[in-house]
Amino acid sequence: MANENLILNTVNLKKYFKIGRGMNPFSHKEQRYVRAVDGVSLSIQEGKTVGVVGESGCGKTTLAKTITLLISPTGGEIHFDGKRIDDGRVNRRDIYRNMQMVFQDPDSSLDPQMKIGDSIGEQLRGLMGYSDAEVKKTVRESLEGVGMPRDLADRLPRQLSGGQKQRAAIARAISPHPKLLILDEPTSALDASVQAQILTLLVDLQKKFNLSYMLITHNIAVAKYLSDTIAVMYSGNVVEYGPTLAVINRPRHPYTMALIRSAPVPDPWKRNILQAEIKGEVPSAINPPSGCRFNPRCPYAEDVCKTEKPQLEETSLSHLVACHFVEKTAAT
Amino acid sequence: MTLLDISNLTVQYLTGGGLVNALDSVSLKVSENEFLAVVGESGCGKTTLGLSVIGLLPESRRVRGSINYKGKDLMKLGQRGMRDYRGTEIAMIFQEPLTSLNPVYRVGDQLAEAIMVRRIRKELGDKATGEVMNKVYNTKDINIPPRLMRGKQRVLSDVKEEMVRWLSLVRIPDPEQVLERYPFELSGGMAQRIMIAMALSQEPALLIADEPTTALDVTTQAQVLKLMRELMAKVSTTILLITHDLAVASQVADRVIVMYAGEFAEDSEIHDLFSRPMHPYTQGLLNCILFDTKDGSSLSPIHGSVPDMRNLPPGCRFAPRCLHAFDRCQSNRPLPVTKENHHSVSCFLYGK
Repeated sequence: MANENLILNTVNLKKYFKIGRGMNPFSHKEQRYVRAVDGVSLSIQEGKTVGVVGESGCGKTTLAKTITLLISPTGGEIHFDGKRIDDGRVNRRDIYRNMQMVFQDPDSSLDPQMKIGDSIGEQLRGLMGYSDAEVKKTVRESLEGVGMPRDLADRLPRQLSGGQKQRAAIARAISPHPKLLILDEPTSALDASVQAQILTLLVDLQKKFNLSYMLITHNIAVAKYLSDTIAVMYSGNVVEYGPTLAVINRPRHPYTMALIRSAPVPDPWKRNILQAEIKGEVPSAINPPSGCRFNPRCPYAEDVCKTEKPQLEETSLSHLVACHFVEKTAAT
Repeated sequence: MTLLDISNLTVQYLTGGGLVNALDSVSLKVSENEFLAVVGESGCGKTTLGLSVIGLLPESRRVRGSINYKGKDLMKLGQRGMRDYRGTEIAMIFQEPLTSLNPVYRVGDQLAEAIMVRRIRKELGDKATGEVMNKVYNTKDINIPPRLMRGKQRVLSDVKEEMVRWLSLVRIPDPEQVLERYPFELSGGMAQRIMIAMALSQEPALLIADEPTTALDVTTQAQVLKLMRELMAKVSTTILLITHDLAVASQVADRVIVMYAGEFAEDSEIHDLFSRPMHPYTQGLLNCILFDTKDGSSLSPIHGSVPDMRNLPPGCRFAPRCLHAFDRCQSNRPLPVTKENHHSVSCFLYGK
């Protein structure tokens, strides 16, 4: 999928964490790894959103941290805005001018002792080299951009509500006018009515600034609302990848099917989760099942699933699924 | 038949920043064998409601009103009297299962203790619980070995059988082996199932579940909710589910009570609530969750945010965010009115 207007592109990206030997370099224990991200290839087009959906422990946050270079990848490539950025030779300031991140919990991503305006302004000085006047002007513009009165710049985070804090975190992320925002569970800590406000804000900002989003979420409904493309992750792998409506309406991987059936729909006439048949829980990433990692929980699993790891293959136009039995899942 | 009848319950917390009005004149009834969901956003008082029923409110509170359980006012019982109800009659499970379990005892030890307490209580009738606890720990005259926990050999074989039965009921695979584990060796879903097993092993008439699936993954959440719905019929208990998620409520509950900023907003049968939401807050909440995609969507958020509980608006608490608010809403507080189908709502749009 080599394409000129790709903003971000990862090729077989891997991140393994070492465990089991502690700090002792002479330990005789076997070196083991948590394969948090195990060969993920994704691409995000300019002005579009890719939603990465999965449960806790599937590696979605590690993927975000690896892409933003907060942790260095074990293998694979990351191309951002036409340049390879994972080889350690790039200047991170250049990257962070164009790539910003919004975290789940604004209480821990905003400094509790700094006024909102200073939290936003800090990076404008360091990253962009703005003068005081420019900083002031940009802070004001960013706060207005996220629908916050500008006098909130002089408040401390604890004087704001949860929704306002998340708006401030978004204001900080858009203040250097980046091209890509990595949104890690941007609405999970918020109440339903505030979640809706933040979601509509994110859509407005995307249209206004032609932003690209990588959305990390466990909530299918949120992913459906914001994303153009959805990647479903399970135990460090992407198991299904395709246009949002295709993935949601015609899921082909048994895990995606289970995930969609388990998500409660607000409809008392359609009690889907009482019919949900998924058993077991997400496997440990230290010692994942061999073959397809979903096989112990999969209703379609056969012997081949225990030995051979399925690869992502195109089942219909740009809809990729990693399953040995896509023919069977199509029938349901 | 009415199992629980709460009337005009008002709870205030004394905090450094002033008096917080957590609950304001809330009345509700729970019938036997009903699955009732209390829905609301953070700060609406839903957890305070659950804690009031089971008598676990913090010391720094002021309470008014009454909580009638099977015709007896729980508020008049005091801490000692409440012990006869807590656990055995009314059980509660919490959001974070791993903080509810004691980290230094094995699952089997904790479950055995719960089962022993129930058995000794049965043997002694409804005597004061302090006496019961003494019996559990220093018993000589009853047929149960002291401090039976710590080590499988010392647990009576029929207690163990019962533990295995409860764990199988909540679908724990390989229950005998799970009894030997410490809480840190469990996943969140397993720990929550053990909490449910522990609560149900007391054979409570009322189970209060405070956000039981909020900390769990969706596939695990689906399993736990399905389990609760199935167990309700099997062990004939009444469930009061406290949740922030209207979608979760719609999946399992028979009836829903919507709360806003410490006040009762709407009470309705579940299908009726979704087909004909009456309170503007409920309507707004439904608009916030019934959304599709960004292109074909009608996502219309409620503007503004939940009021500061120390400094509430004088009239209807939802008035500052309400699209239909008129003069009366700014100064007067609406009272619940009941329409057809026992559908009641606190809003001036519907009278009073």
